[in-house]
This record gives sequence, structure tokens and C-alpha cells, in this order.
Amino acid sequence: MSTPILSVEDLRVSYGRVEAVRGVSFAVEQGSLVTLVGANGAGKSSVINAVSGLLRPAGGRITFQGRDVTRTPAHKLVGRGLVQVPEGRQILATLTIEENLQMGAWHTRGTAQRSIDAVYDRFPVLAERRALPAGALSGGEQQMLAIARALVAAPAVVLMDEPSMGLAPKIVDEVFRVIEEIRASGTTVVLVEQNARRALRAADHGYVLQSGEVVHSGPAAGLLADERIVQAYLGIEGPPGQR
Amino acid sequence: MQQLLNGIFIGSIYALFAIGFTLVFGILDRLNLAHPAVFAASAFVGIELVERGGLSLWAALPVVFVFGAVLGLVIERLAFRPLKGRADAHFAGLISSIALAGMLIALLQWRYGPDTRRFPPGSFPDTRFEVAGAQVTLAQVVILAVSLALMVGLTYMVTRTRLGRGMRAVAENPTAARVLGVDVDRITAVTFAISSALGAVAGVLFAINVNTAQLGMGSAIELKGLAVIIVGGMGSLPGALIGGLVLGLAEVFAVQYIGSSWRDVIAFGLLFLILLVRPQGLLGARKVREV
Repeated sequence: MSTPILSVEDLRVSYGRVEAVRGVSFAVEQGSLVTLVGANGAGKSSVINAVSGLLRPAGGRITFQGRDVTRTPAHKLVGRGLVQVPEGRQILATLTIEENLQMGAWHTRGTAQRSIDAVYDRFPVLAERRALPAGALSGGEQQMLAIARALVAAPAVVLMDEPSMGLAPKIVDEVFRVIEEIRASGTTVVLVEQNARRALRAADHGYVLQSGEVVHSGPAAGLLADERIVQAYLGIEGPPGQR
Repeated sequence: MQQLLNGIFIGSIYALFAIGFTLVFGILDRLNLAHPAVFAASAFVGIELVERGGLSLWAALPVVFVFGAVLGLVIERLAFRPLKGRADAHFAGLISSIALAGMLIALLQWRYGPDTRRFPPGSFPDTRFEVAGAQVTLAQVVILAVSLALMVGLTYMVTRTRLGRGMRAVAENPTAARVLGVDVDRITAVTFAISSALGAVAGVLFAINVNTAQLGMGSAIELKGLAVIIVGGMGSLPGALIGGLVLGLAEVFAVQYIGSSWRDVIAFGLLFLILLVRPQGLLGARKVREV
């Protein structure tokens, strides 16, 4: 196996005295799509936020492109190509769509306009409305904007936190189609999802989290095929994105 | 006409002071109560630059701008950054900035003594203009031009530049800004620097306008500045501009037609009336802050 582009060893995250993540390890190969699945409160978002530098880990080690980034703040990681699409989209509603994309290109000043144009080609809906405040977009369009905004930063790895949350099934299909396109274009994707079956179908490799620990891991197809895992952790297929 | 012009000159200084004040509030949701002390300190420093440094009035302005910016960085570092993680950071920042303001004023008193200071004789150019029958000095024209230029420049910076975009992103959602790779601490520091630089220039312009600097000038403008940014709509830059001009004009006309002891009654009474009619302020958009 080649060296993973991103690896997490024995990661611990605490909120005060509460340990949300208790020794999680996983590795992400260059160009692959890895998913972390599990119920609400399993610690998935804490893992993602620690990896992207928004949270300070209480312990463990995070390596990105061969460098220790355990204590590197978010604003430096974005510049190095580790970019997050945050939970709840976090678009800047009072800024225009174009300005949101320009914010995505915060660290790529020289090539910003070219990558923004490329993103417009891919998401024509955004191009048509570039001068409107982003708050005017529908939920699904806002999710597309959040993804587009991350792509503008020319990421090596995209971390996606619950991209299908709160979206209608048809839009969820579209979001997953975009995720697979991103992966097909060679960008590594780490996907955190409550919609576990859907995520595992798209992924190469999966990790099942429960109470802040990895309880199962392996090739995604294998996890999906294992009745016991499906029964115990993934539940019955419900409507996506319910909360 | 003379009063109208006088009102605009003093109003433009209020506006410049208030815009710096409201910038920090609008972007960072913090009230920096050391802002009036920056205003006062810069007036004294401006006079000293002219008196001892031998600079002309106009050459002193950019120096004071830089002085204010540095002071802003110090205020952010000492009075705000150490408290930023606290649940009561808002209130704690108020108190710590008041404390810093007190220290700054004490330093001024130590350095310059308690007396009123003036620019050395001959610092003011004699040029005068006549505008529609009213007398205007060159100094007044420069005051207006400098305040307007700085306010226009600030507005351009906030609405059109990368830095301004970063500021607005931080204002709306600091977490989202961090996710996008913005160094929020740095934007915070820069915002304080710009805000204080504007407050500093306002201080010197004020000293030029009345040819005095006093230790109490900061507290005199503090309440006016607060009133102006509330009336203009908290965090609104154009609101602070309009509010400043309204206050300046109201003061001057109150003195002219009613009597100088009624100045504050009339001026603040008018601001109060505006708030009764528009509680969110003239250009306030409270919704923006409540996302």
C-alpha cells in the first residue's frame, strides 16, 4: 500500500470532561472516497472538525501529505489543500454567490477567477445568479454552492460533513452525483454521513463509528454486505437527512 | 449658511469618529470603549508632532493615522484577544477597553499635564474662501475633504476588496470564515487597526477645528459617538455618516437659534426622536446580525 494522503491515529477530542472521540484511527488513500458513518452523536463531526483544524484534538496524530498537522489551524490547512464542506452548509447569506466563491479562493489569489469560471461551468445555476445574495438560493442550491466554494480552493482532499442533511431525495441524488464526479476527477474525498447506506454505496472504504470509537471498518461493499453490521449500526433505510 | 457649513464640518468629524466605532461593532460584534481615548490621545500627539516635530498640520495627519493603527493593534491584543474565548467576552471586552482607556488618559495627563493644549501660533494657513456669503477656512475644507476621503476609502475597501470581503465573512459567520481558510485573528486585528486609525485622524481633525486638545475630549465625544452609531443603525457605515452629520447640524443650529446651553438637549432630543420612529436606526438591518 502506498502512503495515505491523510491518516489519523488514535485521535481524541474532548468537550470539557466529555470525551466525544476516543481513539479513532483511519487512513485515506490518494484519490479514494472514504466514508465515516454512524448515528447522530457518534463523534463523526468532531473527527472531521479536528482533522480540518477547527477543533484542537486532546490527543492523537493527524498526518496530511506526510506532514504532522495535528495542531495546524484551519486557515493554514485550507491553503495546503485540505478543505472542508461544513455541516449545515455555512454559506455566507449576505454575500453574493460570486463573493462566496471568491471567499472559497481566499488562498488562491492568482488563479481565483479561472477556478471560479470552471466552477460556473459545472454549476450553471450558480453562474446565472452570481450577483444575488447567497441567502436567496434554495437549500439544495446552497449545498451546491458550499461544495462549489470548496472546489474553488483547488483541494487535494475534500472533507464533507453531512452534505445530504435536510435535503429532498431528488437533491440528495444530485449531491451524491457531484461527490462521485469530484472523486472521479482525482480529488480525494472524506465523507461523513448519517445516510450510511447511501454513503457506503458511493465509497471505497468505510468506518463505522459508535460512541466515539471505530467499531467496524473495511471495504465499503463488505460492510454493506454484512447483515450484522447493517442491522446493528445502519438501521433500516429511512428518508434521508431527517433530524 | 455659515451655520450649515459649520454643522457639516463638525458633523463630518463626528461621522469619522463614529464610523471607526461602528466598524468594530459591525464586523466583530464588540464595542471598543477605548476608541474615545484614541481620539483624545491622537489630538495631543498631533499637536506635539506640529509643535516639536516641526511637521505641518497636513503632514501630521498620516503620521497620526499610523499611530492610531498601532494603538488599535495594542488595544485588540491587550483588551480583547485574551478574553475572546469567554462566554461573557462581549461584556468583558467593554470593561477591559474602559480600563485601557483610563490608562491611556492617565498617560496623557502624565505626559502633557492637565491643561488645554493648542497648536503653535502660525500653524494654520490664512487662506479663506467665501462660499455663498459664508466664511470658510482652508483648514475646514481640509477637515471635510479628509473625513470624506477616509469614509469613501473605507466603504470601497469593505465592499470591493478581498480584505473587505474577508471582514464581511467574519461579520456574518466567523466559523464559516475559518472553514474557508480565513485567519480570523488577523482580520480582527486589522479591523481594530483601521477603526483606531480613523478615530485617531478624527481626533486631530477635531483639535484642528477648535484649536484645542483636552483630556476630557474623549469622554465628550464618547456618548455622541455611541448615539450616532445607534441612530445610524449599529454596524452600518453609511448610517454612522448620516448620523454624524445630523448630530453636527443639530448642535450648531441649536446653539444658533436657541442658545448654547440647549445644545445637547436639542441634539440628543432629536436623536431620541429618530429612535422612537425607527428603533433599528436609520439604516439598521438587525436581521443581518441575527442569522
